[in-house]
Amino acid sequence: MQKNSNASVLLRGLLLENPVFVLILGTCPTLATTTTVIGALSMGLAAMAVLICSNAVISLLRKVIPDGVRIPCYIVIIAGFVTMVQMFVQAFLPEIYELLGVYLALITVNCIILGRAEMFASKNTVGKSVLDGVGMGLGFTLALLAMATVREVLGSGSFAGIALPFFSTHTISFFVKAPGGMLVYGVMIAIVTKLTHGKAPKKKSFACAGCPSAAMCNASACETSAVKEDN
Amino acid sequence: MNKNVKNIVVLTSVCAVVALLLAVTNYITAPIIAKQQEAAANEALLVVMPGGEDFAAVDLSAYALPATVTEAYSEKNGGYVFKLTTAGYSSGMVIMCGVDASGKVTGATCLSSGETLGYEKTYGDTVVGATADSVDALDTVGGATKTTAAYRGAVKDALNAAIILGGGSVDIRSEEEILADNLTAALPAGDGKFTSVFITEELNDISAIYAADNCAGYVYVSGEHFVGVDKDGNVVSEVSEELRTKVSDAAKIMLASTTEDIDLSAYADMPSQVLSAKKTASGNYVFELRAAGFGINGSAYYNPSGEYIYIRVLATAAGKIIACETVSQKETDGVGSACANADFYTQFNGKEESNYKEIDAISGATVTTNGYKTAISKVFTAVKILEGEA
Repeated sequence: MQKNSNASVLLRGLLLENPVFVLILGTCPTLATTTTVIGALSMGLAAMAVLICSNAVISLLRKVIPDGVRIPCYIVIIAGFVTMVQMFVQAFLPEIYELLGVYLALITVNCIILGRAEMFASKNTVGKSVLDGVGMGLGFTLALLAMATVREVLGSGSFAGIALPFFSTHTISFFVKAPGGMLVYGVMIAIVTKLTHGKAPKKKSFACAGCPSAAMCNASACETSAVKEDN
Repeated sequence: MNKNVKNIVVLTSVCAVVALLLAVTNYITAPIIAKQQEAAANEALLVVMPGGEDFAAVDLSAYALPATVTEAYSEKNGGYVFKLTTAGYSSGMVIMCGVDASGKVTGATCLSSGETLGYEKTYGDTVVGATADSVDALDTVGGATKTTAAYRGAVKDALNAAIILGGGSVDIRSEEEILADNLTAALPAGDGKFTSVFITEELNDISAIYAADNCAGYVYVSGEHFVGVDKDGNVVSEVSEELRTKVSDAAKIMLASTTEDIDLSAYADMPSQVLSAKKTASGNYVFELRAAGFGINGSAYYNPSGEYIYIRVLATAAGKIIACETVSQKETDGVGSACANADFYTQFNGKEESNYKEIDAISGATVTTNGYKTAISKVFTAVKILEGEA
């Protein structure tokens, strides 16, 4: 598969560059909303909607927005879309709005979205950026879904609110609490690392390039820490 | 310079466009969200007023409602739903109570509470159908008297508030406030601060005397009448001639009343319950007693206070109790503490040695009642000793 073909742009977010398990972005909503499958799915779809829209708009404006104010512009655009999604969810899906609570508004500061704006949308065409948004959004959603499935089934004995035989009478509440979330997260990262062994991007290759502050930063601090970690 | 201008223009434009889009989104979603929030709020109201329609918040600032009422909603058919906050046994309760147009409770539910036993969760069912006149007659739950009495009080406040909002008038003052208002009306010079006086003489038809804290005079209570008397014994309230004479005579007796301390160490047989005794000019005795109630004799398991009940009694030389009151006590709150209620101790008024036991015991507080009775019995012993009969 050619590196920048449409298909590869769409698919790499699913596993090879999965934002949650490989890029380790968006950890906060990942841990917070994966106690239930419904919550995880809603969070994933809301973030995907924002990601697609912001990627499209930022890609469209990539030649208009000057370098010096690109981060504030991206943040205003992302925050605008998040607020719109928030309003629509509150109006038409009030139960989901209640379920996600503050994490819906926090999509604004989700690193996946700002990261993709900076790493991809600002350098690629609208079409590719939308595909990247769909791919990354799906990757995020599936990652949340996988974690939520484990946590809800083991922790609450149900799947999407439907009680499961055996599990519902043998719940392990540890899994719906923060430490359980960390454990599942760690195990999932290990599995994905095993599956993508040698193919996933090395930490070094996206460490500085993917940082929104890379242009302004003298990189020495990051590189020093990166070297230390490599050793 | 040009670069900076471009930065400003682009960022401002992006902000403006985003703001415009948000305004459009808000224009579409705001009415839907408002409708939903109203429906959600009404859902809570419908629990206590099934079938209610078109709830609208009432501006409470225009009405003098009981202090427990924090929110009120009117309903299409003339009913009201009230949100009330009241103190219960612990941190207080938030109660929703619906009252229909005819002044009956349609439902009540406790939204939040910190009560210990959970009776507040079900007590709402027992108040359905109650009216402002009948609510006081509802039973409280034994063992959770404070919780359920507070609940009942809040429901009564809701019923009264419905009457006030409907244009009626109702006395929402508490018993203490009514007493304070009556005392001030009888003796305005008293500045609203009065202290109950222990009556040391046998007075005709006077049930209580209050002294103004600023020494401006006294208020004599006879039946429903509150009569102000200045410090020289002159009646200052406008009252009937008969009442004026009665109060005037009583005031003369009280002003002339002097007491003389009796040295109890001279009486070796004096019971230990009698702490002090005084003799009045008319030959009556005022005793200060201590009774060993639950605080002293209660099972250690219940961690009793270790404190006596202190009692003051006025008795005639013939051994008849004229007045009795509990001065202080540390009995179990909500049980034996009832010995501080006038309903309990005034039962001894007029009692003699032959019939002092014929009183209603405090429910659930046998140890307190028995200790109290024992102390009272020593009044008769003490009178006999002091009169030289024993």
